[in-house]
Amino acid sequence: MTNTARTLVVSALVALGCNGTPAARTPAPDAQAPVSRPATDITPTPVTAIPGHESLAQDTAPKEAPRLMPAETLIRSYLTLFGGLSPIAFQTRMRTTTTGEALFDTWADYLSALGIPDYTADIPRAAQTNTLQLAAYERIAVALCERAVQNDLRGAAASAQVLFTFDLPAGRSLTDAEFATRFDVLHRRALGYPAALAPDTRVPRFLALYRSAETAHADAGVGSQRRFTGPEAGWAGVCEGLLRHPEFHLY
Amino acid sequence: MDQHRRTFLKILGGAAGVGIASQPLFRALADPPAQASDEFFVLVHASGGWDVTVGLDPRNERRGIIEPANTSVCDTSAIRHWANQVLDDGTTTTFQTLQPPGTSLRLGPAIGNLYDYADRLSVFNGLAMNTVSHPDGTYFVSTGRHLAGGKPVAASIDTMLANEFGREQLLPSVSVGFPSTFVGPHLDARVAPLRVASVATVSRVLSRGNVNTNADDRSAVTALLTQEAQDLAARSYYRDALTGFALQFQSLPRMLAPDVQPIFNASGLALAQPSFFPTPGLRFQAGAAVNCAFAVEAMKRNLVRCVSFASGSHDTHSTNYRNQLLIQQELFDTLANLLRALDATPHPTRIGARLADHTHILVVSDFCRTPQINLTSGRDHYPNGSALVISPKFRGGTSFGSADPDQLLPQDAGTFADGTRAVGPADVLATMLTAMGVDPRRYMRDGDVVRAMLRA
Repeated sequence: MTNTARTLVVSALVALGCNGTPAARTPAPDAQAPVSRPATDITPTPVTAIPGHESLAQDTAPKEAPRLMPAETLIRSYLTLFGGLSPIAFQTRMRTTTTGEALFDTWADYLSALGIPDYTADIPRAAQTNTLQLAAYERIAVALCERAVQNDLRGAAASAQVLFTFDLPAGRSLTDAEFATRFDVLHRRALGYPAALAPDTRVPRFLALYRSAETAHADAGVGSQRRFTGPEAGWAGVCEGLLRHPEFHLY
Repeated sequence: MDQHRRTFLKILGGAAGVGIASQPLFRALADPPAQASDEFFVLVHASGGWDVTVGLDPRNERRGIIEPANTSVCDTSAIRHWANQVLDDGTTTTFQTLQPPGTSLRLGPAIGNLYDYADRLSVFNGLAMNTVSHPDGTYFVSTGRHLAGGKPVAASIDTMLANEFGREQLLPSVSVGFPSTFVGPHLDARVAPLRVASVATVSRVLSRGNVNTNADDRSAVTALLTQEAQDLAARSYYRDALTGFALQFQSLPRMLAPDVQPIFNASGLALAQPSFFPTPGLRFQAGAAVNCAFAVEAMKRNLVRCVSFASGSHDTHSTNYRNQLLIQQELFDTLANLLRALDATPHPTRIGARLADHTHILVVSDFCRTPQINLTSGRDHYPNGSALVISPKFRGGTSFGSADPDQLLPQDAGTFADGTRAVGPADVLATMLTAMGVDPRRYMRDGDVVRAMLRA
């Protein structure tokens, strides 16, 4: 068959397809009839099992610079992490003390430093941090972590533990492995992912912080200026480090 | 030939340079702060609308609708510069105006100790406020623009100055109740004013308990976080936020230093600057005294670039007008104390200079009060105003603008770019910016420069 003849045949078929009688129409469904779905007979298949998809290039690069968490979200995070109290109840809990700790004032004292907008004067939401803001983060983190240490690490039942949901061995220091396990609990809670996925330096760095606090507070107790024991100070420091961490404030 | 080739290459290189410099990045880099940051600013809002007829624009004659302050409606017992003068009815006693020697100023008895510094005062009178609304007047004097739909539409003067001179400062702008706004282009996010109800609020942020852990423990955490932020920045494509964290972590020990926190609470300031806290205490301007003392201590440590605050209220519609003179006198006394302290304090970065040589003070109010005294012995809102500048860049002992003698309304002060008219708040702000070497058009839509008030 010559090319011309082949072209004519194809053109005729196309014309026939375009101008042919319409297919029989499906009758309109009865509005009153019950709807039935066909049985699913598609087997779930991993995407890599589809030919041509054996290896998939996935672009995980961030497409936007990290942004600062809104201050309201930050306050909600604090409240959630430390027992889900209301702001007023939380404030009362933080201020209650018999030892003159002066850990917390009122939320209102910190709002402007945290970057809450003031729309009456067109003061916008803080889009990036400043040093006073970091000082406010520290102020709140110290209060939260020290209260949590007092609540969780002094013989509280597991059900009453809020943040430090683990126990400490009595009478001895943690091994490095034991620290890493417990640190991972806090890391997941505060930063939302396992410590094993963090940069390699993170666990050793926090371990060194823990050890130095443990050593510095070895003389804690009555008559000492340091009230927290070594492990308590160590975990308070680790907790503060996570709550003040850039990854806690950026998303 | 060689000469032609060299010339050609020069032209080519010059054209390339112009092209590159016109790109946005390079334009941004070519837009640094206008001046080296050795200047400090104190901005005061005399809230509520002050009565200029007893202070900066004194009136002691019955003329037109003007009823001068007199002993029947004002408490003058504590007013040091009040000297009796009988009015035309022979029974009412008003005051004698003050004319400081060596100046062209006329001042009222409420000027207080600021009288001693008259040669440093630059006064704008007859400001066309065009409003008698507190919110509108408040933002008009701080931004040069009236509110639109109840919202400010321009940056306030403290934000403008902080943006020019305070970007690298630990605290670019601390605003204690001042009508600060952060609106418009060209503003660096770092200079957003820190608006607080009192400086003690900052003190609470910086306060730390040392019962369970101590400063060493917290410093160790900060050092760790500095390393974490630096490492994360080094791993990141978008580094700005993380680098900012690292730098701010490094600055944190400076802000938390033991000598810094006392400047944010009244008791610490009273120890450091006792002259601001006289005995007996101030009745109306105790807050202003704290804020001025804070300004001196913070500037002395080079922590802050702009301190702005609102004074105690001058809003005296009824019998509380009896206190108007004392309210103003206490404010002006506090400003005199501020000048005295600035004179005695060395500049933190300029060897041999005093803070007073590089500190610029602006005092504004919402508007002024009516020339008539109302049926409840007070004065209401009136669309005239005065502003006071104390700055080494301004000509001292001079005034500009005036209100008319019969109605106390602003009258033409000269020929501006838009014709002959009274001077307005925008002109004051534009003049302030120009004095500091800043082009007002960078921030302001309105306002002409009153060069007559600037030093050559």
